[in-house]
Amino acid sequence: MDLKFIRLVVVFLFYIFGTIPAIAQDESAASARQVVDKFQTELISVMKNGKQLGFAGRYNKLYDSVSNSHDLTKIARIVVGKEWEKLSEAQQQNLVDVFSKLSVASYAHNFKDYSGESFTIDSEEETKLGGVVVHARLSVPDDKDVKFDYMLKEKGPSWRIINIIANGVSDLALKRSEYTTILQRDGFDALIAKINEKIDNYSKL
Amino acid sequence: MNNHRNPLRNGKIQHTFSYILISVLTLGGCATTKVADQEGKAQPIVASKVDPYESVNRKIYGFNDSVDNYVAEPISNVYKKITPQFMQTGIFNFFNNLKNVNVVLNDVLQAKFEQSAKDTGRFAINSTVGLVGLFDVAKKVGLEQNDEDFDQTLAVWGVPRGPYLVIPFLGPVTARGIPGVVVDTAANPSSYVGAPVQLVSLLNTRASAEGALKFIDEAALDPYVFTRESFLQWRQSLATDGKGQATSEFDDELIEDEAASNDQGSSTASTSAGKTLQVSSSSSDTKNFKDVSRLFDGVTQSFGQTAKSFEEAGNKLEGLKAK
Repeated sequence: MDLKFIRLVVVFLFYIFGTIPAIAQDESAASARQVVDKFQTELISVMKNGKQLGFAGRYNKLYDSVSNSHDLTKIARIVVGKEWEKLSEAQQQNLVDVFSKLSVASYAHNFKDYSGESFTIDSEEETKLGGVVVHARLSVPDDKDVKFDYMLKEKGPSWRIINIIANGVSDLALKRSEYTTILQRDGFDALIAKINEKIDNYSKL
Repeated sequence: MNNHRNPLRNGKIQHTFSYILISVLTLGGCATTKVADQEGKAQPIVASKVDPYESVNRKIYGFNDSVDNYVAEPISNVYKKITPQFMQTGIFNFFNNLKNVNVVLNDVLQAKFEQSAKDTGRFAINSTVGLVGLFDVAKKVGLEQNDEDFDQTLAVWGVPRGPYLVIPFLGPVTARGIPGVVVDTAANPSSYVGAPVQLVSLLNTRASAEGALKFIDEAALDPYVFTRESFLQWRQSLATDGKGQATSEFDDELIEDEAASNDQGSSTASTSAGKTLQVSSSSSDTKNFKDVSRLFDGVTQSFGQTAKSFEEAGNKLEGLKAK
């Protein structure tokens, strides 16, 4: 009888203390969702004014949106894999710099006008390593929805996007394959030159 | 750019993974020694796990690319110019509808019975109310097009993916995708009609792929790697019906990997080599895999010879264009 009682107390205590961290986690998860939500809202608003803004206008508007919602330094670092340590500090800074520009430029190029698209956040889940995945979808009129899974990590007080998985294709994994291949085959300068060429193309298209 | 979901994934990923690791071991005993020799150079070997025939594949990719640039794209552009958009959509819907015979078959083979009922309904509605499939009426009543094929069925059955291959004129495929294509072609009614209809189907496919191909051109730093990675990930996501879990786990791995490499530098390479050995000794399927690998080895050798002629053919095309 005693044993049963003790067990009950333990279970009860567990419930009390167990739920507190769970509530705390829920709050932080909500903020990951907010980061994605805010970014998507800004993206849609840029799309709506896309034509008037032009590439440069979209780029300028999106620069802050992207850098405040994405952890571009971390992304740039993951994307070159183990090669990161082989780079000098100046090279690392250079890479983060051009990589950030490319990320913004590709948003400015690919989300250039508006024809009724909308983002919906479906759900969110925590990953084993303390990240959060926000499952969202982009609805395009007369077309299939595009699934966007945003993976976020905590950075200081807020959450930052570090990967986007569009219809099952992980941007981080894709870029990592490309960047490491080029780094190993052609070297750092060639990689930077290629990235700059892409930025240049985006601004002209 | 489509995807769906299924719970079988973890086991299968491990399966595929162990297969890839084993094929690395058996195909290139020398490759594994390389890991031990120079730990810093682990990366190219990691890439070759998925794409052991990269050099041959790259040549055929280049050939396909020039065929597309100089033959398929110009023809497709003319097609797009002379065919009104509503007809293009109609033709796309028509062939897409015929594909549903195969989709239903594979739904059943993967034991997705509810989905197979829906897809049968979709096919029935579009074939009748949708005027032999020219109009996608089913979509408007909430029956979305599902994407199933025999390669996905084989994946669900646990057949390993095998190496990545680029086939002349056809493009990317995995070893498992080859029997897949054969069955899919056999189960598609449009395969049994005359050449002119097939040509229209081809043209239409190229025309609707325009956006994706343009995107690759714009975004890819290395179009070959970009195509390979997105193809493999996309197929994987289709086969597992898009259960996001593994993808995010994989990305967690990337990040963990990054953290580990910060701490320990090159020691990661030796651990991964250790893992390779472990998997190979624990698996009883190794012998079968070895046989399959040998088979592929033979295939590559003949590939190597063909690749050379493809490279030459590609160059000739470039020459023609220059004129």
